[in-house]
Amino acid sequence: MRYIGLVLLFCFVFAGCVTTSLPPVTQDSRLEDDETRLWLRFEETEKWIQKSGLIYDDEGLEIYLNDISQKLQPPDTLKNISFRIKIIKYHLPNAFSFPTGLIIIDTGALSRLENEAQLATILGHEMIHTTHRHALKKFRDTKNKSAFLATITYGTGGLGGIIGALGALATVMSYSRELETEADTEGLKLMVGAGYDPREATKFYLHMRKEYEEEKIKEEHFLGTHPRFQERAENYENLLKTKYKDNQSGIQNSEIFKEKIHRVILDNASLDLKAGRFKIAERGVDKYLSIKSTDPKAYCLLGEIYRQKAEKGDLEKAKEHYQKAISIDPSYPDAHKGMGLIYFKQGEKELAKKSLELYLSISPQAMDRIYIEEYIKQCQGGKKP
Amino acid sequence: MKKYLYIILIFVVGCAPWTQVGGLYKNESHNFSVELPQGWMKWNQGEHLLITRDGVSLQYIQVGRTKLEDPLKHTKKKFSRGMLPQEAAEVYLDNLASNSNILNFEVIENVPVAINGISGFKAVYTYKDKDGLKLKSIYYGFIVGDWIYGICYNAAQRYYFDKDINIFDKVVESFKLIKTT
Repeated sequence: MRYIGLVLLFCFVFAGCVTTSLPPVTQDSRLEDDETRLWLRFEETEKWIQKSGLIYDDEGLEIYLNDISQKLQPPDTLKNISFRIKIIKYHLPNAFSFPTGLIIIDTGALSRLENEAQLATILGHEMIHTTHRHALKKFRDTKNKSAFLATITYGTGGLGGIIGALGALATVMSYSRELETEADTEGLKLMVGAGYDPREATKFYLHMRKEYEEEKIKEEHFLGTHPRFQERAENYENLLKTKYKDNQSGIQNSEIFKEKIHRVILDNASLDLKAGRFKIAERGVDKYLSIKSTDPKAYCLLGEIYRQKAEKGDLEKAKEHYQKAISIDPSYPDAHKGMGLIYFKQGEKELAKKSLELYLSISPQAMDRIYIEEYIKQCQGGKKP
Repeated sequence: MKKYLYIILIFVVGCAPWTQVGGLYKNESHNFSVELPQGWMKWNQGEHLLITRDGVSLQYIQVGRTKLEDPLKHTKKKFSRGMLPQEAAEVYLDNLASNSNILNFEVIENVPVAINGISGFKAVYTYKDKDGLKLKSIYYGFIVGDWIYGICYNAAQRYYFDKDINIFDKVVESFKLIKTT
C-alpha cells in the first residue's frame, strides 16, 4: 500500500511536468497552447504600457532604434517575430523584452549609452530572450517546480502558499543565470554579426555597476526585472577574452548615436533631478552639453541642480549657470526665476524683484505665478522672506 | 460553545482596526487637532490619522506630521528648515513623480496657502494607480520647526472626489496646532 502511494506521487509529479527544452523561434515553429496564453498576457501588458503615460514620445528616435534592431537579426527571424522598440520614461537604467517581440528600453539606460555598438549589445541580449523563448522556458520551469512543490506539500498535508506562485509576469521575466548567459553569448554574436565593435559590450555594464555602487542603489526595476550589471559585465569580459579575442574593431557610430539621443539625455537628467540624484543628473547635463553646448535649457537645469542641492558654495554655482543660460538666451524664463529665488532667499530684494518680474513678463502664464507674485509683494513690502 | 464565541467577539471588538468617528479629534503626539466628519471610519493602526467613509481605495483623508530629516521613499531630496513653501511643494511633488507606482501623474494646481495662519502650499494632482483607477488628490503642506505637516485628501476622480470635497475643506479649516512653538 505504501508503495502504491509512492508510485502515485511519482506519477503526479511527472504528469504535471512540461518540457523546458524548446527550439528558438528562428526555426519554423508554431506557438504552443501555454505560449499562446502567455503571449496574450504580454499583449495585455503592452496595451497597459501604451496607456500608462510612461512612453517617451519621440517617433524619430523610435525609428532609429528600430532600424538598428533590424540590422541585428536575419530576415527569417524577422518574418517570425515583429521586433519593435519602445522607450519609457524612467531614470533607473534597464531594458527588457516581451516574448511577443516588444523591447522596452528606458531613458535611464539610453541616456547612459555612448554609441550604437553599446545599444546593439543591449538589443541583441533582449532579442535572444525573445527568439529563444526564455519567458516560456521560465514559465514552464516555475510551473514544474510549483507542481513538484504542490505534490510535496500535498504529501505533507497542505497546499498553502502554492497558489499565486506564477502570478506576476515579472516572475516570468526574471531569468536564471543560465538563460541570461545564453542571452549574453548569443546576443553578442548578433551584435558582432552586424559589424559592431565587441569591445564596447562591457562598457555600459561596468559604468552602471560603478554608478549603482556610488549611489548605493539596491532598488529593483519597477517592472520587477533586475539589471544584474555585474553578471553581464563578467560574461562579456569572458567572451571578449576567448571567443572574440581576435575581434578588436568594428562599428561604433558614436556621433550619430549621440545626435539621435541628445534630447533623452537632458530629459533623463530632469528625471534624475526629481529623484534627488544630483550627481547623476549633473553628469547627464554635462554629457548633453558635450553634444549641444549652447542650449540655455541645459545650463538652467545645471542651475536647478545646484540650487536644489544647496550645499556649501552651490548657490553661487547655480547663479553662474543661470547667468550662462541668460547670456545665451535672455528670454529664457526659468533662468530668471532661478536667479530671483536665490536672491530672494539671500535677502537681495531689489535683485530678486527684478529677476522675478522679468520671469513673469516673459512667462505670464507660469503655473507658479501666484508664488512669484507673493515673493514680489514681499520684496516691495519689506516683509522678511 | 457560545462561551468561546463571546470570547472571540470581545477580542475582535477590542482590537478593531476601524472605529467610527466624528467631532473634535486631538492628536497630542502629532501636535494637532481637527474636527472629523460624522460617520467616517478611523484606521487605528497607522501612525497618521486616516479616515474614510467608503474605503481607502475610493476616498480617504489623512493628517499627520513627519520629521524633516526623514528620508522620502522615492526621491533623495529632503525637506529642510527655512524652505520656501514652493520649495517644499517641489520636494513633495518630485517624490510623487519619482514613484513608479503612480502613472499619468499630472499636477493641476500648486499654490501658496495659509493653514491655521502658517504659510504653506496646496497641491492638486491626478494620477492612475497600477490597476488603471484615476485618482485625484489635494495635499496641504507646511513646515513648522523640525516637522512637515500634511493634510491630504485622496479619492477616485469619478464621483467620489467631488462628493466629499466639502467635507475635506471643513477638516482643513478646523485644523489647529496644539502647540505653535
